[in-house]
Amino acid sequence: MATRALLAVLSASPPRMIRIKVSTFPSSSSSSSIKFQRHITIARCFSSDTNPSVLQPPDVSRLAETARISLTPSEIEECGAKIRQVIDWFGQLQQVDVSSVEPAIRAEMEGGNLREDAPETFENRESIRASIPSFDEVYLKVPKVLNKE
Amino acid sequence: MLSTLQPPRSLTLLPFRRFHGSKTIASLASSSPTLDASSVSPPQSQILTTRRSLLSGETTASEIAKSYLSRIRLTEPQLKCFLHVSENVLKEAQEIDQRISRGEEVGPLAGVVIGVKDNICTEGMPSTAASRILEHYRPPFDATAVKKIKEMGGIVVGKTNMDEFGMGSTTEASAFQVTANPWDLTRVPGGSSGGSAAAVAANQCMVSLGSDTGGSVRQPASFCGVVGLKPTYGRVSRFGLMAYASSLDVIGCFGSTVADAGMLLHAVSGYDRFDSTSSKQDVPEFESQFLSMDSFESKPLKGVRVGLIRETLEEGVDSGVRSATQEAASHLEALGCLVTEVSLPSFSLGLPAYYVIASSESSSNLSRYDGVRYGNQVMADELNKLYDCSRGQGFGGEVKMRILMGTYALSAGYYDAYYKRAQQVRTLIRKDFKAALDHNDILISPAAPSAAYKIGEKKDDPLAMYAGDIMTVNVNLAGLPAIVLPCGLVEGGPSGLPVGLQMIGAAFDEETLLKVGHIFEQTLNGSGFVPPTLPNVA
Repeated sequence: MATRALLAVLSASPPRMIRIKVSTFPSSSSSSSIKFQRHITIARCFSSDTNPSVLQPPDVSRLAETARISLTPSEIEECGAKIRQVIDWFGQLQQVDVSSVEPAIRAEMEGGNLREDAPETFENRESIRASIPSFDEVYLKVPKVLNKE
Repeated sequence: MLSTLQPPRSLTLLPFRRFHGSKTIASLASSSPTLDASSVSPPQSQILTTRRSLLSGETTASEIAKSYLSRIRLTEPQLKCFLHVSENVLKEAQEIDQRISRGEEVGPLAGVVIGVKDNICTEGMPSTAASRILEHYRPPFDATAVKKIKEMGGIVVGKTNMDEFGMGSTTEASAFQVTANPWDLTRVPGGSSGGSAAAVAANQCMVSLGSDTGGSVRQPASFCGVVGLKPTYGRVSRFGLMAYASSLDVIGCFGSTVADAGMLLHAVSGYDRFDSTSSKQDVPEFESQFLSMDSFESKPLKGVRVGLIRETLEEGVDSGVRSATQEAASHLEALGCLVTEVSLPSFSLGLPAYYVIASSESSSNLSRYDGVRYGNQVMADELNKLYDCSRGQGFGGEVKMRILMGTYALSAGYYDAYYKRAQQVRTLIRKDFKAALDHNDILISPAAPSAAYKIGEKKDDPLAMYAGDIMTVNVNLAGLPAIVLPCGLVEGGPSGLPVGLQMIGAAFDEETLLKVGHIFEQTLNGSGFVPPTLPNVA
């Protein structure tokens, strides 16, 4: 899904790149200027040296849009309260002195276990096709991709 | 911190009897019908019993399969452990019988009836991870662990209920049904592998597979009074396990004995070219560790160094759980272990670090559920709307919440403050474990701060729910193996609720855990942890 690929870029990129990506994201075209501004603000505050005292509380509607999940108004209210509670609780991590501690992305493990990057034919293709909600011959069928405007 | 999240409850340790010749620690006059040591012999491996009885002709795989299917029909309306029961059980059992009658070799799991958590793919059988978004989904392939089980003659009896995508600690977050704890039907079985744990406890299957991202095998094992084994990260291929938090997820095993959990682990372990994080380390033959009690010396665990983690017995842990853990430590001492207290200074930081990492990784992993290639699709006139609605209607509340929290933590500018920082805390936790395991062969702690609680009790309070994972999440952050096995009962339910002891080992040293766990289990008199409400299969 494009949204997630974009998010990965967002999280790993410097602020200038973020602005470009967000402003070119199709779904946000109607409100891109607002989002654009918000990202600039965030980037200014937290781009490298994080200051926990100015971390902004989550905006659930915007997060839901980024994560491509539709929420009802009551879900936004209920979910929002819980998320804010948990994010507050995450805040205790800001008190830990981790200067000069290397991050561990996963458990220690041996390297070199990658297999050769060669295509293979999956035999049970019909079963994969049977799971596709909508297809036409060899194509996955989806509604139009581009926005109206 | 725990004290603010989980108010301590006052539970008293129910009396139970200890192994022959051991000096009693607490008042041990037995009043519990389920733990009367005089009538309970040490638990026997169901895998070994099945193997022996099939090969000797004492029984057939078909008879065994029929008795389990009948048991499921009888108990399932109350328990709701399974989301799907296979239609092929009897057919597969008959094939095993035919092979045996023809004098052909059968695999080491021949006739063994196995439940599989619903987030582990089974070819042609529904695999939904208890989510609406995957309702009716049938994968085109078997997970490597399932493939290995089938190749060894194991019979997959069905798919067990769970918290949606593994996100929860009670199995209440299943989109389809709430599983009851066989010890008390008004209580949760734990989670997220609650269906797999309860099914083994209720003897609906002999063993089962679960998955453990932050304790999802070990905590339900504790709540249901069964053995739960979480292997080292990389020991078992994750191919076909629906990813929740890829740096933490492992497939784990449930059994009614340590030997069964160990033999199932042996069956599913090993390098797999479809999972680059699976390890090429040799898988030892665990079976040699499961000696019969007759061969034990008077101090069978002489010289084994055991560290009792101090932070796991502090405020916030139920008094009954604390007592049971201390009794277990005394029992290990009586077996010859050298038990000392150890401190893990970073212990309490693991919980928030875990939830940051797990939520972040889930927000990325669950992006694959878009309603386009498989799963439920909500039709819309525009592609983004199709994504929004398919995901909005397909995911349950807890899943949405975690995806959104992960999205927040990974947002531009917040990454350093949350995700990176949590990974730095993971480094601290790994170092603390390494230091403790340099001086000890295993570490012990409770598996959870309390025994099973009531259905609905913590459903709307995420922090209270998350606090229950304090004992287990650090082990996932460090990627270490751990086993949970029943060690006592506390008050609650018709005749007590089980409490599990967690043993944590060095990476890839499941062997020591299984050895110590087996001897502990076999020598704990009155260790027949059979739920009172459910009779054994005849």
